[in-house]
Amino acid sequence: MRRSSNRKSSSASAAAGSGSTKAASKEFEKIDHLFNVYADKSSAIIDPEGIEQLCSSLEVDYTDVRILMLAWKMKAQKQGFFTLEEWRTGLKALRADSMSKLKKALPELVKEVSRPTDFLDFYSYAFRYCLTEDKQKCIDIESACQLLSLVLGTQFGPQVEKFTEYLKSQSEYKVMNMDQWMGFYRFCNEIPFPSLENYDSDLAWPLILDNFVEWFRENQN
Amino acid sequence: MNSQSQSQSQSQRRKNFKIEAFKHKVELDPKYAERTWKVLEHAIHEIYNNNASRLSFEELYRSAYNMVLHKYGDKLYSGLVATMTAHLNKIAKSVESAQGGLFLEKLNHKWADHNKALQMIRDILMYMDRSYVPTSHKTPVHELGLNLWRDHIIHSPNIQARLQDTLLDLVQRERTGDVINRGLMRNITKMLMDLGSSVYQDDFEKPFLDVSASFYSGESQQFIECCDCGSYLKKAERRLNEEMERVSHYLDAKTEVKITSAVEREMIANHMQRLVHMDNSGLVNMLIDDKYDDLSRMYSLFKRVPEGLSTIRDVMTSYLRERGRVLVTDTERLKDPVEFVQCLLNEKDKHDKIISTAFNNDKTFQNALNSSFEYFINLNNRSPEFISLYLDDKLRKGLKGASEEEVEVVLDKVMMLFRYLQEKDVFEKYYKQHLAKRLLSGKTVSDDAERSMIVKLKTECGYQFTSKLEGMFTDMKTSEDTMLDFYAKQSAELGDGPTLAVQILTTGSWPTQLTAACNLPPEILTVCEKFRTYYLGTHSGRRLTWQTNMGTADIKATFGKGHKHELNVSTYQMCVLMLFNSADGLTYREIEQATEIPALDLKRCLQSLACVKGKNVLRKEPMSKDISEEDVFYFNDKFTSKFVKVKIGTVVAQKESEPEKQETRQRVEEDRKPQIEAAIVRIMKSRRVLDHNSIVAEVTKQLQSRFLPNPVVIKKRIESLIEREFLERDKADRKLYRYLA
Repeated sequence: MRRSSNRKSSSASAAAGSGSTKAASKEFEKIDHLFNVYADKSSAIIDPEGIEQLCSSLEVDYTDVRILMLAWKMKAQKQGFFTLEEWRTGLKALRADSMSKLKKALPELVKEVSRPTDFLDFYSYAFRYCLTEDKQKCIDIESACQLLSLVLGTQFGPQVEKFTEYLKSQSEYKVMNMDQWMGFYRFCNEIPFPSLENYDSDLAWPLILDNFVEWFRENQN
Repeated sequence: MNSQSQSQSQSQRRKNFKIEAFKHKVELDPKYAERTWKVLEHAIHEIYNNNASRLSFEELYRSAYNMVLHKYGDKLYSGLVATMTAHLNKIAKSVESAQGGLFLEKLNHKWADHNKALQMIRDILMYMDRSYVPTSHKTPVHELGLNLWRDHIIHSPNIQARLQDTLLDLVQRERTGDVINRGLMRNITKMLMDLGSSVYQDDFEKPFLDVSASFYSGESQQFIECCDCGSYLKKAERRLNEEMERVSHYLDAKTEVKITSAVEREMIANHMQRLVHMDNSGLVNMLIDDKYDDLSRMYSLFKRVPEGLSTIRDVMTSYLRERGRVLVTDTERLKDPVEFVQCLLNEKDKHDKIISTAFNNDKTFQNALNSSFEYFINLNNRSPEFISLYLDDKLRKGLKGASEEEVEVVLDKVMMLFRYLQEKDVFEKYYKQHLAKRLLSGKTVSDDAERSMIVKLKTECGYQFTSKLEGMFTDMKTSEDTMLDFYAKQSAELGDGPTLAVQILTTGSWPTQLTAACNLPPEILTVCEKFRTYYLGTHSGRRLTWQTNMGTADIKATFGKGHKHELNVSTYQMCVLMLFNSADGLTYREIEQATEIPALDLKRCLQSLACVKGKNVLRKEPMSKDISEEDVFYFNDKFTSKFVKVKIGTVVAQKESEPEKQETRQRVEEDRKPQIEAAIVRIMKSRRVLDHNSIVAEVTKQLQSRFLPNPVVIKKRIESLIEREFLERDKADRKLYRYLA
């Protein structure tokens, strides 16, 4: 491991800036050190393989929602990758610079995310995170279902179950866009389930939810 | 001078100076008063005994005058009352004793006498009436006389009931057909009115109305059990007229409205539902059988009662809707679109006539008719197509020889049906298709009629609706001019080739049919290319595509025994026929390969050339009715026709086949999407922020002259616009949409 050379390059690039960055690099020393444990040597980015290792260190499953939360905290742009900047952002915010501290920070993170305002941000982030291509605006239904279960499964289990069942059974919609994604969250919050008593399709609910409600009501009888 | 007189003269001097009338002081002692009264009393007796001629008016007047003057007014008045009362009691007994029919006559007679007497008495006592009566607040003489008559005669226990019964009995008899003495009745009721309207009402009118109500209640029950609706209404009308006549002859005018409303209530209002729905003779039957008289009668009678007209209107509406629904879903009838539309027009005419003849052109009925038509015409989603086909038939041949007015009448009637359509854009699509075929085949009965129709559509739907249609006409004219120029410039080069007539259609104005061109015969191809070169020479930058599915051709053909005929055929048919210049027989597949005409069109084409009697210039083996891909075709040497020119074209507009219909509908739906989006954007641009329902309502309103947008489609379009970032959901209230500039 050419750790020293890496460090040198990083501190060299840091030194190129102002004096404060020298302090910054000192601040991030431990964080960066942790970064390099998992980062790929050639790209200097944590890739999916690295994330897998990270997960086993954290003792969480690769598909656990907490990784997604971590990504959110880092404001990570690309699914499956963490850059140094993102790593720094996230760990600094979590006040963790070692694996043990990071592990301890996770429950706190979960609690933070479940606060309503933060959750909304997290929820919409989760969708954007899945957009892999440049101009992509939608994710396929299969992935959307998985994401819904992951992100809303604990909070709104029954709704998610029924909605994903519906999505898988219909063929009209092959993808889901951000508007529909956000609409579902609003739906879970505002409409009692399973009574759906105050759902009014004449209000501005996305059409996919109108269809879901219709399907649900028909299948109830 | 003592002090008293001093004060007296002083007070006298303080008084105003007054002129006093010269008074003839006649001393009247009580004995004189009594004597005077006796004179008057005697006079009253004489008057009542019809012996007034011997009395001196002047003397009596003076006596009365004196009595009042000398403050004996009380005595005079009370004496009058007593005397009159006594006489009236006598009269009462006389009236009571009258037998049967003479009762009323006697009463009438005595009443006349009483009035005469009263008049004379009043004249004599006029001074008392004017001076004593007001100051002592007594009833004036005339009124007194009436009141006393009322109290002692009319309300006498032996007369009151008998009078009422007699009067009501007479009315009853008249109602059942007897003739009664109307003059006598008149006098009696007038008497009651004179005695005071409350006397008339209490002693006659109220019981009259009660008895009449139960009479008509009974009669109406009887009639309705045994009469059909028309006869019942005739009877009701007759009774109504009878009562009005009765009032004018011997009742007070104010009774009219009361008795007529009693008759209306009992005979009409209480039986409205039963009458209207009566089996075999009710409203619906009258409508079906055009019973104008009965309908007119029902209308004028029902108009008089609350909810009467709305009852008729509701029954008529539900009948029309049902009838219409049956009409538009009758599969047999739908096989012939022209017949179908004619049927609708006939229904409209029929009911228009009913409304104008029998229902007084009542606007609410006209509206009910319109809404019913609007309802059922749109139940069948082929109505727009069929109406266009009807017009096509009329403009192609139906209106041949018709005068300008007749044409206008037919077109206006069709416009009425057009207005009922919800899917006017579907009509537009079909109309364009059919018009194109008419123009290109030159098969229109009158250019004026065509233009008149366009003008009507423009007036109804606006410039946008007809701009493309007008474009089609322009193209035809321009093409004519182009052809003249072409031949003028190219005649040398063209020589003996076939004569070409090209119609240059501007894409976008004409209905699009994206079929590839078929293979044209070489002679035709040559001249076509020459034209293409010529045209592109003068119009660079344009692109020409031959539409071989829309053309026609005139071919000279020689059959067996040298019979020559000129055949008018479609371009496709020409391509097929020209093949037989080099072969006597060809299989289906050979023809298909050589011409590259699309299968469905080829089959239609061959069918019209080989399977239609009188037009079978080709012979098919086997001789079946339908074209199969295994068939073989031969030039029919034995073809004959009594016409030199034979028309075999198949370019007539037809009812679409099911797959064609689906295709057209799909295109219509596709066309609607941008229109809906444009409407949404327009609305949001001006309103900036709006909730969902309002958008749907506004969009519907904006587009209603073309079609009725589906709310689900509107929502889809909104979501599409959100995705494309023309709109967004409001961040604060997610029920609202916001325009993104």
